[in-house]
Amino acid sequence: MSTCETVRDAIYQATALLDDQKWNDWLSMCDESFQYSITSWSPEINYNMTYLAASKKDMHHLVDLLPKHNTDHSPLHRHTSVYSVTPSDDGKTAKAVSSVLIFQNMLDGTNSHIDAGESRLFLIGRYIDTLQVEDGKATFLSRELKLDNRRLDKGSHWPL
Amino acid sequence: MAARNHDQWMATPPLQKGEWIDSRVYTDYQIFEEENEKIFKNAWVPVCHESELSKPYDFRTTSIAREPIIVCRGPDNQVRAFLNVCPHRGMMIERRPSGSFFEGQPSGNPKRMTCMFHGWQFDMKGSCVYVSREKEGYQDRLCKDDVGLRRLRCEVKFGGFVWVNLNDKAPDLESWAGKPFECLRKSLEAEPLEVFHYHKAIVDTNYKLWHDTNCEFYHDFMHYHNRVTGFNDAYFARKNEAFDNGHIVVGTFEVNYDKYEGFESRASLSFPHLPPNQWYMIDLFPGINFNLRGSALRCDVVTPLGPNKTMIEFRGLGLKSDSKEDRMTRINHHNSIWGPFGRNLHEDLIGVQGQGNTMMPGTEPRRVLHGRQENQTIHDENGMRHYYDEWGKWLNRLPSSPDKPYAAASAVTAAE
Repeated sequence: MSTCETVRDAIYQATALLDDQKWNDWLSMCDESFQYSITSWSPEINYNMTYLAASKKDMHHLVDLLPKHNTDHSPLHRHTSVYSVTPSDDGKTAKAVSSVLIFQNMLDGTNSHIDAGESRLFLIGRYIDTLQVEDGKATFLSRELKLDNRRLDKGSHWPL
Repeated sequence: MAARNHDQWMATPPLQKGEWIDSRVYTDYQIFEEENEKIFKNAWVPVCHESELSKPYDFRTTSIAREPIIVCRGPDNQVRAFLNVCPHRGMMIERRPSGSFFEGQPSGNPKRMTCMFHGWQFDMKGSCVYVSREKEGYQDRLCKDDVGLRRLRCEVKFGGFVWVNLNDKAPDLESWAGKPFECLRKSLEAEPLEVFHYHKAIVDTNYKLWHDTNCEFYHDFMHYHNRVTGFNDAYFARKNEAFDNGHIVVGTFEVNYDKYEGFESRASLSFPHLPPNQWYMIDLFPGINFNLRGSALRCDVVTPLGPNKTMIEFRGLGLKSDSKEDRMTRINHHNSIWGPFGRNLHEDLIGVQGQGNTMMPGTEPRRVLHGRQENQTIHDENGMRHYYDEWGKWLNRLPSSPDKPYAAASAVTAAE
């Protein structure tokens, strides 16, 4: 399998694990040096914002403490399309850019009696990933989710 | 008592006057319209921060009570506000949320606000400087001096926020909100601030329910973070102090941020003049919140969109002089609980959304209790009581029975 195919597979596998809320399985695909961030450009304040920045250890804390927090129970479903994979000259790492649309399948909704079962577009953006490729296996070194949204309603306690 | 029947459910609670309100204050369309007219068109609102328009000719657009507003910085560095409405045929002059007039636009020249519809142009003081084919169409009957923009009261104050009031005759901003800001004035005005965070949420709930949540801390029980970092004797001794005009200030104490796994002390990056890890909150009538947790300042501004729909804009601020590393630390501190993916904000939004579900137009009027009395400390509900007393005066409606006038009830109370 080529580097590009290995990277693509890893991104799609990560998408499936996140959709299934298998947070620790997803984190096991990440190197110990993994850095995760959610960012967005705001024309309102003319600033490249960081909405979340976390190391692998931070992400473990975050997911471990999720059960202690109240959250919206509506599952998220990511549709990822890998646009480009660019291997480094030495072939050991690769950068990938993917489009991602995240849908919220309402469980709580605004009023679950009315909304449950409906799916709504929740967020749009791009994954900008750096992966290490070794022995045919890709490991995430970093992931930036660059959102287009600056309107962010309830329903966003979970890793995206 | 077991679960109650309808009469019991609707009975007056065994509390004092002012310790409950009628849910119609959150659900009634006429009340919502009156709030826009009587409150929001007369109150000072921080529509943006000066750092959002840092250079001459920069602008921001916004709205208060459905009135579109443009704020711009002139070549004299003054920040001014105008109705974002062309005096010709009512077109919105600028449609983008922000930008610069330094460059020309398809319909107009550089350094001008231009209405794209017919090319009328205005300078940064709101004066009309160009009317297309003026003489041919208006001869000597109307000239540029007759068609300047509508200027609005505008002050840059309390940490560089840009405040606008639609009422030309409103009291000045210092008299409106100066006293509650005393607790943070030195910290906010020691050096220029800069906005590093903006997002908005639109929630199906009444704007006052969001402000109520910012005014009461009894909902700590919803936030695991607050319980582990806050609950101690000093926390429960924090005071809710009432100020004129419906404002309140929640006093400070030292937060133990490192009690939450993975979080850290904020002591090394406290705002100027602020002791380590302190936490002050200022709630201004009718729906503005300033929240300083040691290293990061948050500001919420509500825009009511309907009796059951509210936009909340969230800003996070640090010091303009921050190094890159310090700024990132402040951002992380801000985001940890207040960011859209943080621990607390999301829970607050779920809370008020749940209230919005049970109190929407057409739902049965019911009592909402504001009756906790704990010597005006953190879990006392005096902040909400103080707010609704002010609200009653502005609308001349009794919060516990909004179809009755506030003035009449006050007269009865005085006679008693």
